[in-house]
Amino acid sequence: MADQDSFLHLARPLGPVPVGAQPSTAPLNVAIQPQAIFSILDHSLRRPADQERVIGTLLGTRSEDGTEIEIRNCYAVPHTETAEQVEVDMDYQKQMLALHLRANPREVLVGWYATSSELNTFSALIQNFYGQQGDGTWPHPAVHLTVSTVPGQEIESRTYISAPIGVTAERAADSCLFIPVPHELKYGEAEKSGLEIISSAKDREDRSQPIITDLEALERAIEHVLDMLNRVSTYVNEVLDEEASPSSALGQFLMNALSLAPKVDAADIERDFNNHIQDVLVVSYLANTIRTQIDLSNRLATAALTMGTGDVPAADGATQGGGNREGGENSRGRGGGRGGGYRGKGRQQREQEA
Amino acid sequence: MADTIKDTPIKAVQVEALVVLKVIKHSSATFPTPATGSLVGMDVNGTLQITNTFPFPAIDMPAQDSNSNNNSHQDNSSNLAAAAPRAKANTAYQNEMIKFLREVNVDANNVGWYMSTSMGNFINLNTIENQFFYQKEMNEKTVALIHDVSRSSQGALSLRAFRLSPAFMAAYKESKFTTENLQKSGFRYQDILVELPLTIHNSHLLTSYLHQLPSSIPKEELDFPPNIAALQADPNTPHPPLFPNYDSLDLSIDPYLEKTCNLLLESIDNHHTELNNHQYYQRSLGREQAKITAWQQKRKAENAARAASKQPLLPEDEWQRLFKLPQEPSRLEVLLNSRQVEQYARQVDGFTASVSSKMFAVKSNLLPGE
Repeated sequence: MADQDSFLHLARPLGPVPVGAQPSTAPLNVAIQPQAIFSILDHSLRRPADQERVIGTLLGTRSEDGTEIEIRNCYAVPHTETAEQVEVDMDYQKQMLALHLRANPREVLVGWYATSSELNTFSALIQNFYGQQGDGTWPHPAVHLTVSTVPGQEIESRTYISAPIGVTAERAADSCLFIPVPHELKYGEAEKSGLEIISSAKDREDRSQPIITDLEALERAIEHVLDMLNRVSTYVNEVLDEEASPSSALGQFLMNALSLAPKVDAADIERDFNNHIQDVLVVSYLANTIRTQIDLSNRLATAALTMGTGDVPAADGATQGGGNREGGENSRGRGGGRGGGYRGKGRQQREQEA
Repeated sequence: MADTIKDTPIKAVQVEALVVLKVIKHSSATFPTPATGSLVGMDVNGTLQITNTFPFPAIDMPAQDSNSNNNSHQDNSSNLAAAAPRAKANTAYQNEMIKFLREVNVDANNVGWYMSTSMGNFINLNTIENQFFYQKEMNEKTVALIHDVSRSSQGALSLRAFRLSPAFMAAYKESKFTTENLQKSGFRYQDILVELPLTIHNSHLLTSYLHQLPSSIPKEELDFPPNIAALQADPNTPHPPLFPNYDSLDLSIDPYLEKTCNLLLESIDNHHTELNNHQYYQRSLGREQAKITAWQQKRKAENAARAASKQPLLPEDEWQRLFKLPQEPSRLEVLLNSRQVEQYARQVDGFTASVSSKMFAVKSNLLPGE
């Protein structure tokens, strides 16, 4: 990603705009959550065939002093662009914003995105629209995120804020200075499991991946760790054989990692291991026992048993089934439900003691 | 021909990566209150492609219409949130949102809803009612995506797609869950929900983007770092890859087992309450039966006396007016509860499988030579 670019912000004289109506141009940090990028890429795929780029609105949160911005969400806004003019559906933008804010009341408008790296007059016009007073992000600067989607090239994303430049008053609306600001992709623990499975499909021909079970996930993780261990030990062996050049920093790092292995008594391990494996197996056994009991209870409850007691006169089918069911349920209630319950509770207490 | 295409049942569900992330984001933001939202996409030859999604508005005020739908439930927030997909206000919201999405070329068909849950505790009346509402009112081909937040945080993503079986739909429509009906139809709790195989699909652009994540591979040959601080500070030091996720190597056992035990106990308690209801019904039914029999015998004796004294006979079927048999309680709760227990048991099985192998690995690592 382009977030390794370095940025230098200089204080500079500002353009001919009345003091006070001026969004801040202080540098800020932008964090982008992956679903926003994914959504932009999806929008880019669904653009009309004759349109070079598509735009949309970015939603997110802003820290209190306005120097940290987190882009969390975005939505597409239809617009048309020709050589002479650009038209953005303002009405759509407003209504969609209202709908989004109903579902995510904590998010605010932070800026807009375009799916091309190019910055032109229209970009400036749209940027000024998003940064204006009233519906825009004023007094905070609007963030402009560009994600290039040129086939055959890497996807590059850049973020900008803008400052007015000194031009004549009639051209002020469609001109501004885009100032690059740093940004990074940020994802939390919750998204990690999702990104994991999504990116596991990246090397597959059909670009799809069935949901994997816990066991498969474990297997893959272990395979990966083993692979890395092999690489490290190959390198260490090569250093020992004087085939590869040694590095004291790497050696120190490996030593640090190795010293993390716990020194524990064999008996302790044995005991802890036995305790825990018993816990796990007992809970698994109980869960399955309870399942069987419940299944049995259901079958008894609905089984059309005739105990050979003959027909009860003046009783309809339901009564007969009901009478038999009572027997079944009684036996289950004591044998299964209670038993399972007590055993489960006993188990629970033991576990809390442990 | 058109009809045959239309009638193809849904065999699989294909979810776009975008949807997965949006669902995860919404679910983890509202956790532990269940999050719900709507899914849009289309049906292609029996594969339901879910291509976009949007959350339902958070319920901040107790809306009047959710009370009418949500009768006899306590008005706590999680119940309201769980009932959101079938609230009237949200249907309007959904229609409006889909109208807007159509303008930007998103597949504008509603194909279901999603819900977040914790520890697989999702099989309850609310889920069933939501899905019933969707399959009946909206569109037959809709699915419920269930995302389990607490299981996903332990490693592998837990996202599953469910539909109500046709047999259950028919039975629920008539709300006939009496013993007699269940006997006749042979309906079992395993048949309530049908799980559909789910795959995650990436677009070409996304695949290309993923190859840059979490960081691009450095293009030039790297030098060895001069010291360990430089190694850690170097931006070229690779981040842990997104895949595979090393969280699944984590060895925490007790919290999971404890939670599962609690949930199992809860289910057993529920089951017990339902059993008691049935026993109560049985007893009152028995009492009424005894009364009716007594009345009938009395009437017979009376009639015999009247016949002997040549008087007109009294009708013998008057008991149907005089006595009222108690209503049998619905067995739906029992069925759902049973299905829930089955779900827990399977969950524990899966957990046991991976955790016991992890434990044996740790043991043999720490105690080599045994």
